[in-house]
Amino acid sequence: MDYLDNIYEAILDGDMGIVPTNVQSALDAGISVSDILVEGMIAAMEEVGRLFQEGEYFVPEMLLAAHSMKAGISVLQPHLVNSGVEPIGKVVLGSVEGDMHDIGKNLVAMMLEGVGFQIVDLGTDVSAAQFVEAVKEGADILGLSALLTTTLPSMESTIRAIEAAGLREDVKIIVGGAPVTADYAHQIGADGYAKDASQAVKVAKSFIN
Amino acid sequence: MTMTPRENFFTAIGHQQPERVLVDMGKHIGSIHKKAYVKLQHYLNDVPMENADKILDRMAQTVVPDEALLQRFGIDFRWLVPNWVQVKERTDVDGYIDMWGVPYRATADQDHYAIDVLCDAPLKTATLKNLDDFNWPDPYDPDQFKGLREQAKNLYENTDYVIGADAIKAGPLMTALQMRGYEQFFMDLIADTEFADALLDKITWTLKAMWTRYMEEVGPYVQLAYVTDDLGSQTSMLISPKVFRNRLKPKMKELHDHIKGLADVKLMMHTDGAVLPVIEDIIEMNVDIINPVQTSVQGMDNTQALKQQFGDRLAFHGAIDVQQLMPNASLDQLRWEVAKRIHDLGRNGGYIIAPCHNIGYDISPQNMVTFFDLVKQFGAYPLALDEVLASNQSYFTNNS
Repeated sequence: MDYLDNIYEAILDGDMGIVPTNVQSALDAGISVSDILVEGMIAAMEEVGRLFQEGEYFVPEMLLAAHSMKAGISVLQPHLVNSGVEPIGKVVLGSVEGDMHDIGKNLVAMMLEGVGFQIVDLGTDVSAAQFVEAVKEGADILGLSALLTTTLPSMESTIRAIEAAGLREDVKIIVGGAPVTADYAHQIGADGYAKDASQAVKVAKSFIN
Repeated sequence: MTMTPRENFFTAIGHQQPERVLVDMGKHIGSIHKKAYVKLQHYLNDVPMENADKILDRMAQTVVPDEALLQRFGIDFRWLVPNWVQVKERTDVDGYIDMWGVPYRATADQDHYAIDVLCDAPLKTATLKNLDDFNWPDPYDPDQFKGLREQAKNLYENTDYVIGADAIKAGPLMTALQMRGYEQFFMDLIADTEFADALLDKITWTLKAMWTRYMEEVGPYVQLAYVTDDLGSQTSMLISPKVFRNRLKPKMKELHDHIKGLADVKLMMHTDGAVLPVIEDIIEMNVDIINPVQTSVQGMDNTQALKQQFGDRLAFHGAIDVQQLMPNASLDQLRWEVAKRIHDLGRNGGYIIAPCHNIGYDISPQNMVTFFDLVKQFGAYPLALDEVLASNQSYFTNNS
């Protein structure tokens, strides 16, 4: 159990240098890939989300933890294929058309990846048609982000395009970004609203359980 | 006796009761988007407006407001804006590289420019050793403040407006994030403090050198200097108060002390977001006025509490939300909101009312004009707003 604790603590501390070493030690000690991932790494990222929500962690601490996890995953990667560990869901996300801001969206992607989702990040200034194409290839959740009040209409038109393509029942839609409110999310027909990356994790997980 | 805008300003910022609440619009964070400007031009067809193509801030695509409009809205301030220098046009896309080496590109409809996330940040791979080798902006560029002395002198001698030195578009934290790349610099602030400090030092030094020259030109004529950065997000501080105090606060204080040592000016600092945890620090950073009091975020919405806790030591600029209120509010809600902010923040002066950020084209010309008219209606001292506030027409409490 010490091995998993060490991984967990190193990720919480955002210590990118030590996480790969701790993961290797755990593997060498014969701990299963699934335990390392779920009980060591994902558990740590869930705690990071909680600490962010509590106001103890801020963006820098969250980034360091996410990058530390990535460093650990690179050690785990060769063993993942045969481990039977599957992503808990697939998320397509991006900043909507006309919006080229990505800091918030990137944090959401990192945190979702950290708790076990597969991420397809379409980037910024993503057209409704691009979102539709990506969802057609399979997605459990679609995440739409906007920073500007003037790009909010693209969020709504993206949802309309998903409906028009007959994909609305296949995917849960979560929206977020500075000008977005829960009211607005409801009004444009999204399934969920997240005010920050930690909440995005909560909402996304509620949709796949 | 009627006080001039300048007299009103000194009274209000000295935390004494002025004759009217001051009102502002027209600096580089706080003007009108070009598309909104055209709509306003059609709406106010009796006001001669010719500046729809005269861009104030290239990134946000806001306009230098016409003098006739400033007069129509009763604006007490006239802003001097540093020239846009050492900018390189990009040939690969519609975009530019600013003087800090940060690449921008336009949206497809040329609505605005944003940092080009497809390019690497200029200091992405920099190290402590080679930081000095970077092609830093030249702080002695004669074009940066060219023409501003004449403009300032003219305004000082021939008008009674408050003359403000608009910001050099950069602040220690924002500029470091943009030059280094957001993710990397956020991490540097904790994981590589030596590099973070060196970068912040270099930026602060450059800004100080620029302000020295700026104030040599306009110092005798300006009453107010504006600095911009961003410490908060929509929901919290961007960085912890502890990291802020250890890494940023000393640099920002150094910059502010420097500016106030150059000329007899009040200092106004811009930071968006939920920054309640560090307002005491901001006061300690030699700031006289905080802008914009983003009332759409937690902690900054309670303007009564802000005034009570900090109002005898800090003045407030802004508080009229442009994310939710101005695009969506009904006339009754706008009336109530204007009365509420003046009531809460205007006691013993200390308040300059203004939209919190740029006015976008999702805000109707009616709401723009109504806002400035309401300020005229409600802004006279002694304030008598109890009747307007008696029925709760708050946009926020009725839409949350």
